[in-house]
Amino acid sequence: MRDVYAIGIGITSFTRLEFPLSEIAAYPVMMALKDAGIRKVDHLYVANMGSARVNHQTGLASAVVDTLSLTPAGAEVIENGPASGASAIKQGFLAVASGMHDVVAVTGAERMREVNSLEATGFVATLTHPLAEYIYGVTLPSMAGMFTRAYMEKYGVTSRHLAMVAVKNQDNALLNEFAHIHQAITVEGILDSPEAMTNNPYVADPLRFFDCCPVSDGGASVILASRQVAEKTGRPLVRLAGIGQATDTHCVHEREEPTDLLAVRRAAAQSFEMAGVSPSDVGVAELHDAFTILEIVESEEVGFFKKGEGHLALERGETRIGGKIPINPSGGLKGRGHPVGATGVAQAYEIVLQLRGEAGKRQVADPGIGFTCNFGGFGNNVVCLTFAREN
Amino acid sequence: MKRDIYAYRCRKCGHLHYPYRMVCAKCGENEHNEFDPEPLPKAGTLLTFTELYALPGDFEVPTLGLGIVELENGIRITGQLRIDEPASGMKVIGEVEVVRNEEYEKYYGMVFCEA
Ligand SMILES: [Zn+2]
Repeated sequence: MRDVYAIGIGITSFTRLEFPLSEIAAYPVMMALKDAGIRKVDHLYVANMGSARVNHQTGLASAVVDTLSLTPAGAEVIENGPASGASAIKQGFLAVASGMHDVVAVTGAERMREVNSLEATGFVATLTHPLAEYIYGVTLPSMAGMFTRAYMEKYGVTSRHLAMVAVKNQDNALLNEFAHIHQAITVEGILDSPEAMTNNPYVADPLRFFDCCPVSDGGASVILASRQVAEKTGRPLVRLAGIGQATDTHCVHEREEPTDLLAVRRAAAQSFEMAGVSPSDVGVAELHDAFTILEIVESEEVGFFKKGEGHLALERGETRIGGKIPINPSGGLKGRGHPVGATGVAQAYEIVLQLRGEAGKRQVADPGIGFTCNFGGFGNNVVCLTFAREN
Repeated sequence: MKRDIYAYRCRKCGHLHYPYRMVCAKCGENEHNEFDPEPLPKAGTLLTFTELYALPGDFEVPTLGLGIVELENGIRITGQLRIDEPASGMKVIGEVEVVRNEEYEKYYGMVFCEA
């Protein structure tokens, strides 16, 4: 296999966007090509989950490649639920590593605000088991609610810990001009104040409004290339050094230990092994905090902290910018937003930016190794990426 | 009419699956007709639960109780709850009822009450 480098990155604002989905997907590619100083690619991968259902558009990749005047380059959509982004990056990696292509564009995009938030939640719920989960009214927030209760009862995580994740990530998002949520909150304000029950109502008890990521539109792109192409750009060299992916039972109720996220554990271990690094080498991470509980549990499953101790590390401030292992300096899904197909690529965008030292006010000091965890379904299909700065 | 939810037992190794699979999760037997359906028991223990306040559009109730129950035979199932104050570890008993009513189709599933 050849080494593969991330040579260009681009992103849109994550918010409500009044542009066609194909333009939301194309715009960050244009920015990423400009960033890399190139005009053409051999192939385009588009990560998206909902175009057919939410936007009534199929063949999205053909529309995007044409919008960018990149024809006759090959193009296709990669759909892997909320992990579509990292899955598309994996496909791009394989194309370059194999020698089939020298330079490929990966873009992730979603336009979920075209429908109301109940319809958007209903659309994401279609990834649950049709007969054993979906028919009951199970949604992703309800799965997260059941998981959170089990975790609280087993490990002593409290609503305060969850609120601390929300506060940290919304604080980080204040430093990210592309983030969806620009609102400073406090634990007191969303849990203790007399207004807490109205400004932070239950969504899926014990999870409240501020424990859940927003529904966002947005796009993000990464250009991947061989070393030969990467060296010509004159930009800092960031290598995609490790990729891991693992699946778990479709039904959450079938998991032997209801508080484990085995696919996260396995995907992370594979990614670190391929990169030849260990979790303690990681200087900055973007984890999939669609719900606040997930940041805590993923920080354990990927190996940053012992099982059941992630909330203690959070209390000590170890996951803040400036802490031992800064998690979600971009604001994460909670603060940056979660256009499902774009999220995995947006995580990679942030890590490349951080490893180059170009993250401005939210820059983590000299991270060296960066890591992303993109969580599909309720942990039934997880893709983890490890990036390394080389020069 | 008394209804049941079925689990599927592998004829080769006896492993019980819920929901259905085409290939046995334990022995890898791949003849998909080699499973015997058997009705799931109705009694069990509530493992975890939630009260959902943001419901899919086709549900005409303000909130919905959902939980994961470990049935008497060790098989776990996701179901709806009709319990005022649920608690983890509570003994529950289920019944098969309409759990989702869409325009052209009714879906049956397990609804649990306190035992
Ligand atoms: Zn078997």
